[in-house]
Amino acid sequence: MNDQPHYRFPPASAYRLNRCLFALKSDDAFRTRFLKDAPAAMREMGLETDDTAALLRGDRDALVARGAHPYLVFMADLRLRMEREPVTFEYF
Amino acid sequence: MLVGAFACAHTPQLLARPGTEDRDLVLRVHAAFGRVKRRLEALRADAIAIVAGDHVEAFFLDGVPALAVYVGTECAGSFGHYRYRFPIHELLARTIVEQGVERGFDLFYTQAAPLDYAFYVPLHFTMPEPAVPIVPLHVNVYLPPQPTPQRCYDWGRVLGEIVRGRPERVVLMASGGMSHFPGTDRYASPEFEYDRRWLETLKAGRGRELAAITGEELDKMGNIELRTWATLLGAVGDAKADVYCYEPSWHHGNAVVEWAV
Repeated sequence: MNDQPHYRFPPASAYRLNRCLFALKSDDAFRTRFLKDAPAAMREMGLETDDTAALLRGDRDALVARGAHPYLVFMADLRLRMEREPVTFEYF
Repeated sequence: MLVGAFACAHTPQLLARPGTEDRDLVLRVHAAFGRVKRRLEALRADAIAIVAGDHVEAFFLDGVPALAVYVGTECAGSFGHYRYRFPIHELLARTIVEQGVERGFDLFYTQAAPLDYAFYVPLHFTMPEPAVPIVPLHVNVYLPPQPTPQRCYDWGRVLGEIVRGRPERVVLMASGGMSHFPGTDRYASPEFEYDRRWLETLKAGRGRELAAITGEELDKMGNIELRTWATLLGAVGDAKADVYCYEPSWHHGNAVVEWAV
C-alpha cells in the first residue's frame, strides 16, 4: 500500500502521452488511424520511444509511472478493446 | 428560486450495460432515477442546474478550469453510441457567471465546450418531457490540483443565493459519486463503508461536514467526485437527505438522493 494519490498532477513531460490517450478516448478518427497503424499514429502525436513501447504493451503501470493520467489510460484501453473485440451492451 | 435538489450517480454502465453488470442492480438504480424524474415533473422546474465533473472530455490539459459554467444557447456531446443535445437556460447561466464573479468566484465560462457523459447520464434518465433547459456547471475533479471541498461548498452557497434570488424555478442536481477508482488497481474494491457513513451524515442534515474533509481523503476513498455534492450542499445547507437508493456494484457505489429545500 503506497501513499501516492490515485490521481496525481500530470507532469508536463507527459503532455504528449496524455494527449495521445485523450485522442484514443475521444477522437474516433484518431482511434481508427491508431488501429490501422499504431506506430504511425504515435509518431503523429510525437511520442517518445518509451511511451510508444508502454502503450503498445498496454502496460498501465509503466504508462502511469511515465505521467499518464490513470483515467485516460483506462478509457483509451477500453475504447481500443471495444473496437478489437466488440462487446455486447444493453442500451437504456 | 430553488425548488429541488438531487444527487445522482452517473456510472456509464447504468446507460450501456455490458455483461459484467448485475442487471437487477442496474434496474434498481433506474427505478430511483424514475422517482427523480417524477419529482422534477411535479416541481415544474424551469431549469436544471447540474453540477458535474468533466472526465477530461471538454477540458484537457490545454486549459483546466476549476469551476466552469456553460453559457451557450445549447450544449451537446457524445458517449459511445449516444449523441445528445440540450438547450441551455442562457439567461440563468449568464446570471450565474456574472453574479458569481461579482461575489468573488473567478469563473471560467464556455459557449462551445462539449458536454461530458457525467452530465448526460442522469439527464438521460431523469429529464422531464418536454425537456427542461439546463445550466451545466463544471467542477474539476479529475485533474489535480482540484478545488478543495471547502471551496466547492462556498461556491455552492453563493450559487444557492444566486438561484434563490431568481424568478425561475430551479432544480439543482449534483452528478457523480460515490466511491470508485477508475483506472487504478483499486477499481474492483471501492470504499462502500465510507459511502454509507456519509449517507448517514447527510440523512442527519449534517452536510456541512463534507466541506471540512480534505482532497487527500476524497482521493483515498475513491470519492473525488463528492466535490459536486459539496457544491450542492453549500446551496442546500443543513437540509436532510432522503436516500432513494444506495447500490454498490463491483466497482461503484451508486447513490440517488434528494434534499428537501
